[in-house]
Amino acid sequence: MIFRLRTVETTAQGREIVRDRDVTAERITLGRSADNTLHLPDLALDPYHAAITASGGRIAIEALGSPDFTLDGRQVSEGTIDPQAGGELRFGSYRIAVSEAEDAAVLLTIGQIAEASGTSEEKSGFSLAGRMPGKRAMSWLLALAILAAFLVLPIVSQMARDPAAKQGVLGDAAWSSGPLSQAHHQLEGKCEACHVKPFEAVRDTACLTCHKDVHEHAAPTRLANARGPDGLGDRLQWQIAHLFGKPGPGACSDCHSEHQGAGRMPPPQQAFCADCHGSLKDRLPDTALGNAADFGKVHPEFRPALALTAGSDRLTRVSLAEHPREANGLTFTHDQHLDPRGGVAQMALRLGMGSGGLGCAACHHPTADGVRFLPIDMERDCEGCHSLAYDKVGGTFRRLKHGDTDQMIADLSVAPRASSPIVTGRRRPGDYANGGTYFARFTPPGGGIGSVAQALSRDGICGECHTPRLAGGRFSVVPVTQTTRYFNHGWFNHAAHKEEKCTSCHAADRSNLATDLLLPDLKSCRSCHLGEEAPRAKVPSTCAMCHDYHLKPLAPRGVEPRRKR
Amino acid sequence: MASAPRPSRQTARQLTADHEGFLRHRNFRWLKHAGALCVVAILAYTLIDVSPRPNGGTWLGYTLGTVGLVLIVWLSLLGVRKRTMTRGAWSLKAWTSAHVYLGLALIVIATLHTGFEFGWNVHTLGYALMLLVIASGLFGVVVYSVLPAALSNNREQMTQPQMVEALSAVDRQLQSAAQPLDPHWAGQVLAALGEGAFAGGLWSRLAGGKHGSATQQAIAAFDLASTEEAADPALVRVEALLQRRAAQLARMRRHMRLKALLEVWLYVHVPATFALIAALTAHVISVFYYW
Repeated sequence: MIFRLRTVETTAQGREIVRDRDVTAERITLGRSADNTLHLPDLALDPYHAAITASGGRIAIEALGSPDFTLDGRQVSEGTIDPQAGGELRFGSYRIAVSEAEDAAVLLTIGQIAEASGTSEEKSGFSLAGRMPGKRAMSWLLALAILAAFLVLPIVSQMARDPAAKQGVLGDAAWSSGPLSQAHHQLEGKCEACHVKPFEAVRDTACLTCHKDVHEHAAPTRLANARGPDGLGDRLQWQIAHLFGKPGPGACSDCHSEHQGAGRMPPPQQAFCADCHGSLKDRLPDTALGNAADFGKVHPEFRPALALTAGSDRLTRVSLAEHPREANGLTFTHDQHLDPRGGVAQMALRLGMGSGGLGCAACHHPTADGVRFLPIDMERDCEGCHSLAYDKVGGTFRRLKHGDTDQMIADLSVAPRASSPIVTGRRRPGDYANGGTYFARFTPPGGGIGSVAQALSRDGICGECHTPRLAGGRFSVVPVTQTTRYFNHGWFNHAAHKEEKCTSCHAADRSNLATDLLLPDLKSCRSCHLGEEAPRAKVPSTCAMCHDYHLKPLAPRGVEPRRKR
Repeated sequence: MASAPRPSRQTARQLTADHEGFLRHRNFRWLKHAGALCVVAILAYTLIDVSPRPNGGTWLGYTLGTVGLVLIVWLSLLGVRKRTMTRGAWSLKAWTSAHVYLGLALIVIATLHTGFEFGWNVHTLGYALMLLVIASGLFGVVVYSVLPAALSNNREQMTQPQMVEALSAVDRQLQSAAQPLDPHWAGQVLAALGEGAFAGGLWSRLAGGKHGSATQQAIAAFDLASTEEAADPALVRVEALLQRRAAQLARMRRHMRLKALLEVWLYVHVPATFALIAALTAHVISVFYYW
């Protein structure tokens, strides 16, 4: 086998000098030692570095010592080359291209390569570093952009603005932690309206700018005394809160949290009330209020305001536990009117009001908002049955003036003693008719409404409903007191309870005394309403469902404006 | 009485140290710590009734937020810490292990801090950036545990400069082997030689190089050579060299793809961390500015 060793050297002028040397051998060696077939003077090589053997059309290369060499760029200690395909060996700084010459000799082209062929570039080429914008540059760019847009812009705008000109603050919408409640919706985007001073928590003064006439819950000193005993955790929380400049306790924002989402601001939880009211008696011994912490568990019996003396305007608050009687001045009884089989029911039937007696709605009319009931109006609610007509002139009835005793007395004094009942304009049928065989006078012996004394007697027309009285030699009736709202510090909405029958709360069908107070008691309400977290409550009821902290006469915060169906 | 031979303490410890990556460090010590932190946070969130509703503005919210802030600042300090490798209890490996698991715990802490209230504001921006950082970090953890084996298999003992050198070796042989070819074939070879390994941007790197490259096209052209041309040994040799070139290019591109996957997440992780710290600064200052 012929090995053709071809050396290529370049002259200083760049001319290549090619020298060929043919060696006939099966095996040649190469290395740093001069007695090798191929002498490669490189200190990086062993004296006898490798052997090249040609056999069976293939060229085998093996390292003789431990050091290896490079075959086609790969570090190996032995390898073979098909001379037709060719290959490249590298020993230290020498490169040997192996191929086949035209005459089937093995051609070894030896060249020396300059070191440092830009390895750093080759290394970095594999990395992404050159292909991407630098991490550091991207980091700073992003960070500065965010700081500029979300921090510097709002602060500079806030500091530079002219409060008198009502200028807004640029970019502070991104600071909002959530939408404002429905009532404060108009303040959306006007952060500076409440957040008046930088780094100062929202003060009550900001709230009072608009809420000018909000009612104080109680005198500040009493409030301070009433405040519940703080636990260790609470005290620590307040210390930290004060450290950060939070106002309170007792600040508006303690109960009214904003930025909790659009819609109604949620009513305060009962704990806000129970903190003080749960054990109020301990700290304010002179309070008239009973302890209240949870409607289902700790709540005093209701104390409605009602008239205890007939004819007096003065309303007194009495606990239902004392079974008070209401002196409204009437002699009216509910059970008589509601009896489905009694005389009243018969009359109602005849007047076309349906069978089964009068319903509550026959006399009691709700207010426009459905919350309460209008006071009973004689002309509208009673006179359909309890007629005050006493004379008929042509087609016109003369009737007594209700509510004016003197006028009534005057009218009655000159009234004709009617010989036949004029209460109804109808004739009796057949032989019972006027002039018939069986006609009889159906009026009382006195005739008509009778005399003033008769009318104002217990059995007279006035006495049907009123308590007559004789004062200072004058006949009159006891003035009627109609209470439309018994609970002035609590809220009750009849409309919200319209699924219930009236009698499930008001025992009117069993009341046979006008002085019966038909208000349901605490126990009755508790059959549906229990405290905020009572597990078996049909209606979990917080304090705010009936009570308002700021003591306004309208519906408290806890009442849903409209019941969802 | 012969005692059974057993490895000395020293050897046992060395073995553990050798086989334990940052994920399994000290038998998942930091996974346990981070898990405990999450459990405490979840219990606090579910059991403590804050008013009016849980969010960043309650005392629990401020507490969770402070924990989260401290964690984020500490986690970002890995960028400084990693530049000094040390051993022992506060080794870089322990630090990295804690970085991974506490970083994952941050998902729980920060989400509870938000009280599940999100909006188009700087606060949610910070949260989103934090999730981006964590997601990219998670990607990094996964590729670091999966890809090095594939990278090593693909390299087949070659170093990066050797790969470059191997390609150059094939190229030089192609240069000389293609000398006898006529201009049509020489043009194909020249076009193939013009195709470097390092071309292509991020996406082509992640996709593992282009298909239908110049070398592949040249091979396809050589495959179409007529029978007489195919008898030319020079042509056969050049085609074999082109095949080798294509194989070497494919190896290098696989290598670069794996390397790109190993590196690319940091291009999200690091800038997003800086953005997160900026958003967090704005978040905290804005809260107190409009206190």
